[in-house]
Amino acid sequence: MKTDFKKIAKDGIISSNPTLKLVLGTCPTLALTTAAMNGIGMGLAVSFVLIFSNVIISLLRKAIPKEVRIPAFILIIATFVTIVRLALDYFLPDIYESLGLYLPLIVVNCIILARAESFASKNGVLASAADGLFMGLGFTLALTLMGAVREILGAGAIFGHKLWDFSIGFFSSSAGAFFTYAMFIALFALITDKISEKTKLKKIKAEEKDFCGETKEIA
Amino acid sequence: MENNLIYSSSPHVKTKRTTRSIMIDVCIALIPATVMGTIYFGAYALLLVALAVVAAVFGEYLYLLIMKKPFREITREFDFSSVVSGMLIGLTIGTNYPVYTPIFGSLFAVIVVKMLFGGTGKNVVNPAIAGRAFIFISFQWAVGAWLLPNIGSVYGETVATSATAVVDVSKGTVPALSALDMLLGTGMQGCIGETCKLALLAGGIYLAARKVINVIFPLIYIAVAGLTTTIIGGFDVALFLPAILSGGLIIGAIFMATDYTTTPNTRLGNVIYFIALGILTAVLRYATNMETVSFAILLMNLTVPLIDKFIIQKPFGYKKQIKSKGENK
Repeated sequence: MKTDFKKIAKDGIISSNPTLKLVLGTCPTLALTTAAMNGIGMGLAVSFVLIFSNVIISLLRKAIPKEVRIPAFILIIATFVTIVRLALDYFLPDIYESLGLYLPLIVVNCIILARAESFASKNGVLASAADGLFMGLGFTLALTLMGAVREILGAGAIFGHKLWDFSIGFFSSSAGAFFTYAMFIALFALITDKISEKTKLKKIKAEEKDFCGETKEIA
Repeated sequence: MENNLIYSSSPHVKTKRTTRSIMIDVCIALIPATVMGTIYFGAYALLLVALAVVAAVFGEYLYLLIMKKPFREITREFDFSSVVSGMLIGLTIGTNYPVYTPIFGSLFAVIVVKMLFGGTGKNVVNPAIAGRAFIFISFQWAVGAWLLPNIGSVYGETVATSATAVVDVSKGTVPALSALDMLLGTGMQGCIGETCKLALLAGGIYLAARKVINVIFPLIYIAVAGLTTTIIGGFDVALFLPAILSGGLIIGAIFMATDYTTTPNTRLGNVIYFIALGILTAVLRYATNMETVSFAILLMNLTVPLIDKFIIQKPFGYKKQIKSKGENK
């Protein structure tokens, strides 16, 4: 079977974006998006774990018995989470500090388990790696954008650089997190719906054109 | 003669009271407090209230225009509830707040809290209180020290009050300000509308006379809050009056807690609601050492669906049947 990388990429970033479409991994999304840098850090940490756990699970997908697959998945995921934690602690202690408790909690992040269960355990290594990469990218993009919006509005800064002295503290609070998340989901749904409508219209128009062309030829 | 006969399906009992007329009554009831606030705190107070009202009405129009409702239809169906929300937001901030705060508060209250949930009668929490909480959370950094009103204590001496007398009371000490000063709001720091309790009470009496609110429930709330503070303070009876006359308890009890959409449907439900509200207000005041009326009402608003689920009005004739939630109370 030929793997359709274009479809995997589109799925991961747009049509089943883990944060904005599947609403998975909401806990770090709500708690860590107070700053754009946190979003990038969390997104990349999850992406790393996602890619490697997907690859390993895909490799072992025939060796893991169905009855114990969840513990096996978690064991694999936990291994990579430990690697990420130790590496971040050594190389980027600032980010390690700001991610705090949510770093070890990646083990039980729904996105990773969901992709292991629904994709990696059924597909080949290359496709699983691509799926991990694009799902991770979708997650990172969503978290970074949300973090940026909340940082600009809630702290008047972007990536830690002060923009102005004005800030709306609501967006830094947890109530603001829920509000921003809801607005993001709504906007994303609006945009993707508009795009899919347009492509549908285009398809119909193209078909109509073909049809008209044919009729003319017949006439 | 024939024109006087109206054919229609039930309900056949009609009243002239509409949401609009009730809301206009609430606006009228808030005018004394606005006037007293302007006298005490100057023209800037009036500007804040006016900005809050304009922003609230603008927010409602903006949202409905985005939803593609014709301008004329919006004006015809305009029910003044956003004017009430705007007035309450303006009255529950102080003159130490920057000029843009009521605008943000009103827009948040009307667009997010009211319109996104479906408009008047569909909101989960009181828009005015949510708007005030929004301002409180968001702009703490921009707020200066509380200002004293232009008119000092009626006894002539200059009394230095703490932020608001609420802090004193919650710590169990009787404030230095006399109860009469607290009632008139003279020599007392506070928000524009909540300072002069006499003006608020006048508005409350007007609302009760027009049968907009049931006077029992605000009284339950105020009495329970005062009693709980007295009990927490070690049965010090001297705390009772300062507890009910300080902070925003009276404006909250008369104008905010009694909002139709965010109170239970039944009499028993309302009694439970207002007693719990009084206890919660007093306990939160004690625990946080700040004014908690708005947050207590906000929290209790969320319990209303739960109260309505378990306390159902028994219909005439004891037949089991669930009463539907409507605009009546």
